[in-house]
Amino acid sequence: MSSAHVELHAPAAGSFGGGFAWAFRRDMTIAWRHPGETLLVIAFFVFVASLFPLGIGAEPELLRRIAPGVIWVCAVLATFLSLPAMFAADYADGSLEQMALSPHPMSGWVSGKIAAHWVASGVPVIALSPLIGLQYGLATDTLAILAAALALGTPVLSLLGAACTALALGARGGGTLLALLALPLFVPVLIFGAGAADAQASGLSSAPHLSLLGAGFLVACVALPPAVCAAVRIALD
Amino acid sequence: MSHEFYLWMSYGATAIAVAAEVVLLRVRRAQALARVEEEKDLEAQD
Amino acid sequence: MPAWSYLASPATFYGFAGRLAPWFFALAAVLGAAGLYLGLFVAPTDAQQGEVYRVIFIHVPAAWMSMFLYFVMACYGGVSLTFNTRLAAMMARSIAPTGAMFTFVSLWTGSFWGRPTWGTYWVWDARLTSELVLLFLYFGFIALANAFEDPRRGDRAAALLALIGLVNLPIIYFSVQWWNTLHQGSSVNLRGTTMHKTMLAGMLLMAFSFWMYSIGTALTRVRAVIIERERRTHWVRGLAGARA
Repeated sequence: MSSAHVELHAPAAGSFGGGFAWAFRRDMTIAWRHPGETLLVIAFFVFVASLFPLGIGAEPELLRRIAPGVIWVCAVLATFLSLPAMFAADYADGSLEQMALSPHPMSGWVSGKIAAHWVASGVPVIALSPLIGLQYGLATDTLAILAAALALGTPVLSLLGAACTALALGARGGGTLLALLALPLFVPVLIFGAGAADAQASGLSSAPHLSLLGAGFLVACVALPPAVCAAVRIALD
Repeated sequence: MSHEFYLWMSYGATAIAVAAEVVLLRVRRAQALARVEEEKDLEAQD
Repeated sequence: MPAWSYLASPATFYGFAGRLAPWFFALAAVLGAAGLYLGLFVAPTDAQQGEVYRVIFIHVPAAWMSMFLYFVMACYGGVSLTFNTRLAAMMARSIAPTGAMFTFVSLWTGSFWGRPTWGTYWVWDARLTSELVLLFLYFGFIALANAFEDPRRGDRAAALLALIGLVNLPIIYFSVQWWNTLHQGSSVNLRGTTMHKTMLAGMLLMAFSFWMYSIGTALTRVRAVIIERERRTHWVRGLAGARA
């Protein structure tokens, strides 16, 4: 991981915005130069989601019914696969400790990292979901609601995933432990996200689901970055 | 399935869970003490 | 020296816990016997559900315990993080398995109550799903606490996880009010209850029994945890020697 090629500027005074922008730019640059993780997320999401129509065959009614759930499960699993990359490389080569010493408040650069993770894993999923949804024969309005639900839900997944990843840094049992921590927390997001698209497809209102997702998004944005910072501090002690 | 089946499954599973927990408590204590013994022996050999 | 700081040393707490635990188990047995007697033999048959409603005498107290124990565990976790004490972290670790057990019992008995009354063993409604998430939070806590070479790192990470997961408790508790769910709303709250007196008494006795039992198991388990963590000290070495 050539994160060393990306310079670690140390400005005289720090700010949340400064830290956020710096970490966001850094992680996006790394993701751009080493697109492996992002491509893995996209490939996984597209391949697995596309397998179902191929496997189940021409049963349009069945496909349309299972589409929101299946697409959401693929989104959740794809996000989960990309979680370790958020902190693992920086933890291993000592960059994380360096960042902790920067004058920027930790909440700033941690939030920047999480935002970069979302852009690299959540945004492709949101962008590709209409294409996948078309394979399942979903109507346009359902596709729109599905994309909206994913837009609200994937940041929450990134935030929850960041907390779990930071907690498990350097632990034995790596992937299994992370799955045990993260997947149960992802389940409510999955339920409401798929529920929103299901409601729209059945002609009911998706507003309750989307407003819950929205509320969850706001709460997560406020409450989780400090928790992630605390977890990173514990890991660095 | 008669209602008795559901009652037995419920109360029975609870009884088993409680019994298992108590047994495992004793096992854990024995294992902890055994480990202390083991380390004492290892150090005595040094 | 205030009493609690005297107790805060693992060595002294070890003896204290050992003396107290049997009393709590005895209380649990007495209260449990009384609760089961009331619940199985005194409380009348339910007009709608017949005999199968008697699952309530396990299900509701277990559910209450699953939430209460998580809350206490998170409090100990918070104390251990704030004051950097070892014993508070050890108590949190000691509570987790019992909490997980009651969560499992709550889900299992709920499932076997749901089949004859709702027609299904499981449904993904808000309360059942969040109770299942609670079970995994307990598992996650135990796994995380034991996932590091340095037990103190495990203490801190698990404590933080417990605190993050606290948000799940209001979701479990209020879910039947907030959402139109299959699980019925609460029939017991601070304002009063619509339940028959003997049913309520049986449920409360079982709840206290489970509570006393939980204190007993936590005190017993923390003794084993103390032995494991303090195994290099003189007094623990002396313990093991005396048993040989």
